Amino acid sequence: MPYEFDEILETIKMTEIEHFDIRTVTMGISLRDCADRNLEVTKQKIYDKITKYGQNHVKFAKEIESKYGISIANKRISITPLSIVGDAFKADEFVEIAKILDRAAMEVGVDYLAGYSALVQKGFTNGDRELVNSIPYALAETGRVCSSVNVASTKAGINMDAVNIMSEIIKKTAELTKDRDSIGCAKLVVFCNVPEDNPFVAGAFHGVTEPEVVMNVGISGPGVVLDAIRSAGKVDLQQLAEVIKRTIFKITRAGELMGRKVAEKHGIPFGIVDISLAPTPAEGDSIADILQAMGVEYVGAPGTTAALAMLNDSVKKAGLMASSSVGGMSGAFIPVSEDAGMIYAAKMGYLSLEKLEAMTAVCSVGLDMIAVPGDTPATTIAGIISDESAIGMINDKTTAVRIIPAYGKKVGEFVDYGGLLGQAPIMPVRQLRCDNLVLRGGRIPAPMRSLTN
Amino acid sequence: MRLSEDEIRQITLSAIEELGEKASPELVRKVVQTSVSKIEASSKAAVSDFSSGRVILTAYGLNHPGIVSSITKALSDNNCDIQDISQKIMQEFFSMIMLIDITNSARDLKEIQDEMSRVADDLKIKIFMQHEDLFRFMHRI
Repeated sequence: MPYEFDEILETIKMTEIEHFDIRTVTMGISLRDCADRNLEVTKQKIYDKITKYGQNHVKFAKEIESKYGISIANKRISITPLSIVGDAFKADEFVEIAKILDRAAMEVGVDYLAGYSALVQKGFTNGDRELVNSIPYALAETGRVCSSVNVASTKAGINMDAVNIMSEIIKKTAELTKDRDSIGCAKLVVFCNVPEDNPFVAGAFHGVTEPEVVMNVGISGPGVVLDAIRSAGKVDLQQLAEVIKRTIFKITRAGELMGRKVAEKHGIPFGIVDISLAPTPAEGDSIADILQAMGVEYVGAPGTTAALAMLNDSVKKAGLMASSSVGGMSGAFIPVSEDAGMIYAAKMGYLSLEKLEAMTAVCSVGLDMIAVPGDTPATTIAGIISDESAIGMINDKTTAVRIIPAYGKKVGEFVDYGGLLGQAPIMPVRQLRCDNLVLRGGRIPAPMRSLTN
Repeated sequence: MRLSEDEIRQITLSAIEELGEKASPELVRKVVQTSVSKIEASSKAAVSDFSSGRVILTAYGLNHPGIVSSITKALSDNNCDIQDISQKIMQEFFSMIMLIDITNSARDLKEIQDEMSRVADDLKIKIFMQHEDLFRFMHRI
């Protein structure tokens, strides 16, 4: 037998018991050739292109699932940032395009389509401004479209005007979707240093440097890492890092294989594998549980940031060894609502916004799926976004804010979306104001780090 | 990889062209046969480097008589070639791993998987069939 008995059983155990799955195969489609002066023509071109490339997306992914016996949880689509495609359109016309995107997503059978996006870290074009203004309406009137806006980067600094606009947009989105716990905000991400090949929705889009069409893969597997750490027992931290790396290596290899095979079936290039550990609300599929297994009592305890830093670093090291096409976010995700352990810690008050912010300095994303009181002022949200952007800008890493100022809700209440988005307790926000800082507007200049040439 | 009819026709035509006046039915057949078998052999070697028709079957569950015989019967009915077997009993649990070549089966992996899941239901055990590449990728550098 070319494989050991134990090796085969280990793989079976990962997929059958420890929730190992491929989180997403995301097809990136360039819509740059869909631009037209006429709205109807643009809509038709976009619809035709997405349905043409995407028609077999779900079917092929399912075939690969059964061939290798590993499930692919989500099949998704990302598109060129829409503000680039429709730079000449007005806000209400962008909403029309959003509806077409929603219809195309439904037609090809994907649950989310991302790329209702603009990149404004250095400033707005007319189209950028129109698209950003249309976001609350687009998200309220569609179910599958996701939006993201990049407001800062290490090279450009932080566009505080954009931060201010986005905090108003977030508030407006929360209001327009108040009937469904402000769900629109769960589909809207504000970024610093956004990656252009990220397969994970809601922040995915198909960057302008990407090819015509590409297949990117996001792996998952907190459950597998959790189990490996638990069975390692009382070992020192170096040995623990080894255990994590060995596990991640294997799941990254599986992820790359699956992604390549799906791409091969379509006859399109394989892009990247994003090695992020992405939790789900399912029992045992939690980053918080991993941190606790490493030794902190609950997430939020002193030591949490250190444990997360080591986890994140080990994930990257193993992923890099396992695949030569690592990209996207590639670290550990800490969304509050999508992780049972995080939800518990937030509910008990162990986890504060400030601790989460510290954690985002060492992990791959940012303040993700955090619910705050509906009456949080826009300027406070702007302060939170700019803090998070500052961490990203100075450390030359991606940070993001997906915050839900749940309309009409107060601390102690919940937002509940069910499914992968999960539920989140409303977390308290400091009442101190930062209006005089953020309303100065303008740009925080690019840091020393940007001058690398 | 088997050559399609079109490809074989192409080879035949170019053989006739090259042979020119010497082309007789027997000679053409001989030339075509040797070149087709050469191409198939070389592509087979290339394919086996990357992806084979081999599948790992894993079966486990409570032990009772007849498990191995039911599984192997279903496999042989589908013309699957068993290349290796490893089997263990741990307490009352049965576990078996097989390396199977399904290249010559008339059915594809999905159909064989469906068939085996029926067998698994009858035996009240679990059977997984996964393409060998998965294990190679995960456990071999």
